Amino acid sequence: MANKFDLNDDSLVVIIGSGAGGGTLANELAQKGIRSVVLEAGKRFKMEDIENDEWKMFGKISWLDKRNSEGPARLAKDFPHLPAWIVKGVGGATMHWAGVAMRFQEHEFKMKTTNGTIPGANVLDWPIDLKELAPYYTLAEEKMGVCGTETTGMPFHAKSSHYKVVAEGAKRIGAKCEQANLAINTESRDGRPACQVTGFCMQGCRVGAKWSTMYTEIPKAEATGNCEVRPQSMVLRIEHDKTGKVTGVLYADKDGNQQLQKARVVAVAGNSIESPRMLLNSASNLFPDGLANSSGQVGQNYMTHTTGGVYAEFEKPVHMYKSTVVPGVVKEWQDNDPSRGHYAGYELEILHLGLPFMSAFLNPGVSGWGREVSESLQNYDKMAGFWICGEDMAVESNNITLHGSEKDQYGLPIPVVHKTDHINDTRMRNHAYKTSKELFESVGALKVNNLPAYPASHNMGTNRMSERARDGVVNKWGQSHDVKNLFVSDGSQFTSSGTENPTLTIVALTIRQAEFIAKSMKEKLI
Amino acid sequence: MNKNKYQNKIQNIEPTEVDSPSFSRRNFLTKGSMVLAGAGVFTLGVGGALVSPSAWAASAVGDHASETLLAMARDIYPHDTLEDKYYTQVLLPMGESAATDKDLATLLKEGTSELDRRTNARFGKGYLKVEQETDRVEILREMESSAFFQKIKGALMMGIYNNPELWPRFGFGGSSWEQGGYIDRGFDKNDWI
Repeated sequence: MANKFDLNDDSLVVIIGSGAGGGTLANELAQKGIRSVVLEAGKRFKMEDIENDEWKMFGKISWLDKRNSEGPARLAKDFPHLPAWIVKGVGGATMHWAGVAMRFQEHEFKMKTTNGTIPGANVLDWPIDLKELAPYYTLAEEKMGVCGTETTGMPFHAKSSHYKVVAEGAKRIGAKCEQANLAINTESRDGRPACQVTGFCMQGCRVGAKWSTMYTEIPKAEATGNCEVRPQSMVLRIEHDKTGKVTGVLYADKDGNQQLQKARVVAVAGNSIESPRMLLNSASNLFPDGLANSSGQVGQNYMTHTTGGVYAEFEKPVHMYKSTVVPGVVKEWQDNDPSRGHYAGYELEILHLGLPFMSAFLNPGVSGWGREVSESLQNYDKMAGFWICGEDMAVESNNITLHGSEKDQYGLPIPVVHKTDHINDTRMRNHAYKTSKELFESVGALKVNNLPAYPASHNMGTNRMSERARDGVVNKWGQSHDVKNLFVSDGSQFTSSGTENPTLTIVALTIRQAEFIAKSMKEKLI
Repeated sequence: MNKNKYQNKIQNIEPTEVDSPSFSRRNFLTKGSMVLAGAGVFTLGVGGALVSPSAWAASAVGDHASETLLAMARDIYPHDTLEDKYYTQVLLPMGESAATDKDLATLLKEGTSELDRRTNARFGKGYLKVEQETDRVEILREMESSAFFQKIKGALMMGIYNNPELWPRFGFGGSSWEQGGYIDRGFDKNDWI
C-alpha cells in the first residue's frame, strides 16, 4: 500500500486505468518484478462502500462525467449524456460486471475471412487466433476463478428459479441453454468466499465472491512492492520526445494539481471511450491527428455488442432477483449462420434487474409511463428475462470524437460518442426478439416485453488490433504500430466484438501482453 | 478509410467555461431520468411518514394545483391498490421546495394550468373533472416531453419503484447480503416449471 515512486523515475511502466486490463497488467508485471504506477481517475472504494442498492451504487461508482451520445439510435435520445455504463473507481468495470467469462469462438477472430466483405461495415480479422490465445484463456480462468471450467474444476452455481424457467423454455423449443461460466466463486478460493446469491452482482459484490481487480489484482500487485496506485488521477495527455517515444503522462491529481509522471512504457486501459480520447487529446506537432493515429483508426469502429432486453411476464412467481445476475446463457444462435438472415452470432443471457432498474429500463425515455408500464411492473415478481448480447459489426463512423467547444471539469474536450446500428445489428436484434418470444411463450408467458438497448457496459474496438499498420492502431501484442513503448491494454484493442462478454478476453490478452512487455524491456527493445 | 481522421481534430483550443458538477447534474435531470438518483436529487424527504392528501394540499402551490398533481401522479404510474400517501409523499417535498424555489413553483403552477387549459379545450372541463383515464392520458401524452411532466414522472419513478417500503408489494427483496443472500433462502424454489 505504501509504495511510492518518484515522478522523475523514468524506469517505470505507467498504466492508465485499473480495471480488467490495467489492474491485471499491474499485477502481472509486478509478479515479474517490473515496477508500475497505476493512474486511476476514480476513487478507491472499500468493501463497506458496496451496497445492495441499484441507484445508490449507480450514483457512487458510475462514470458520470459528461459525454454526448449522437446518432439516430434510440439510446442517444433516451440517454443523451450516458452512452456507456461503466465505472470510475479502482477496479474499473470489474466492479460492475456480472462475472460472465466465456472464451471467443474460433470464427470470431476471422470475421473477414469467414464472411467476406460486408457492405457498410469495416470488418477485419484479428492478427491472432483462438489457438494462440487458448493457453492465456486458461491462465485467465485460473486467475479469475471461473466456475464450470476444466481449468478450475470449480462446479457451476446451483440452478436458480430464473435459470429453471428459461432452461425449460429452451428445452421446449429445442434451443441449447447452459449454465453460465462465471468468475464467481462457488467454493472458497484464492482467499475469497463462495457466492451467497445476493442478487446484486452488478452493484459490486459485497462479499467479494466475484472476481474484481479492486480486491484481487490490485492489492496483490501492491503487496509485491512493485506497484503504486494513485486514485483520483485524471490523465490529461501522454507526452513524447522528438523521436516519437512516449516519455511520461501528465495528469491532474486529487487536489486538481497537474503532475507529470515519467515513464519508460505507457499502457492505456481506460475503456473504449477514454482510451482513444486520451490518444486524441495527446495530439502534437509530431502527431497532429492524435498519438498512435497514423491509420486514422483511433476512436473509430466503436462496438458495444448488439443488445436489447426481453422480459416476459408469467402467471406465477419466478422471483428472478434471487439468483446470480446471469445464471445461464442460451447459446443456440451463437454461431455464424447467415441463413438466419444475419452474419455472426448472439447469445441470450439470462439476466435480472431489480425493481428500481426495471422501472427505468422497461420503457426508458420520456414515454415510459402509463398503465401498461405500471401493470408490467406490478408483475415484477413474475418476470423472467434476457439481455441480448450479439456480435456488433465494426463500422468506422461509429466512433469517439472530441467535442469542438465543450470541456469537462478537467478542461478536456468532452467525448462525443456516435453509435448506430449496422443493418446486420438490426436484423440480429429482431431475430433475438423473435426467438426470445418463442422461448418464453413455450412456458406460458402472458406478455413479452422488448426493451431497447441500455447504456453500454461492453465497449470495444476504438484502438483496434490489426496485422497491417494502416488498418488499425495496435499490433498483435496491443503495442502501438506507431509508438513502440505505448500499449493498449483494454477492450478498445478488440478487432471484432465477438458475441461473448469481453472481460475474459481482455484478461487473457493482458496476461499475454505482460509477457511481451517484460521480454521487450529485458531485451531493451522498449 | 481516413474519412473521419479530421473529425477527431475538432479540438477547439479556445478556453471555454468548464462545467461545474452541479450544472452537469441539472443537465442530466432535464434530459434523462437515469442520472436522477445518481445525483442523489430525489430522496424521500418524508421517509415512511404518512402524508394525508389534505396535508399535501396545504402546500405552496395551492389546493387545486395540489389535487391536480396527485391525480396526474396516479395517471402516470397507476397502481389502483396503492394508497394516495405513496404518491403524495413524492409530491410533498416538491411542494415544500416550491415555497422557497420560485422557478419550481412556477413550473408546477403553470404545468397544472396548462393541463386544465388543454382538458377544457378538448373536453370542456378541468383535468380533475375528466372521468375517463384514457382521456386524461391523451392530454398527458401531448405534454410528456415537457420539463414539467418529466419532473413529476422522474420523481415518481424514484418515489414509487425505489421506495423500499413498497418493494414487498411488488415482490422485490431489496438488500439481501445482511441476511446472507438467498443461498439458503429459496433461490432455487419454483413449484410450477
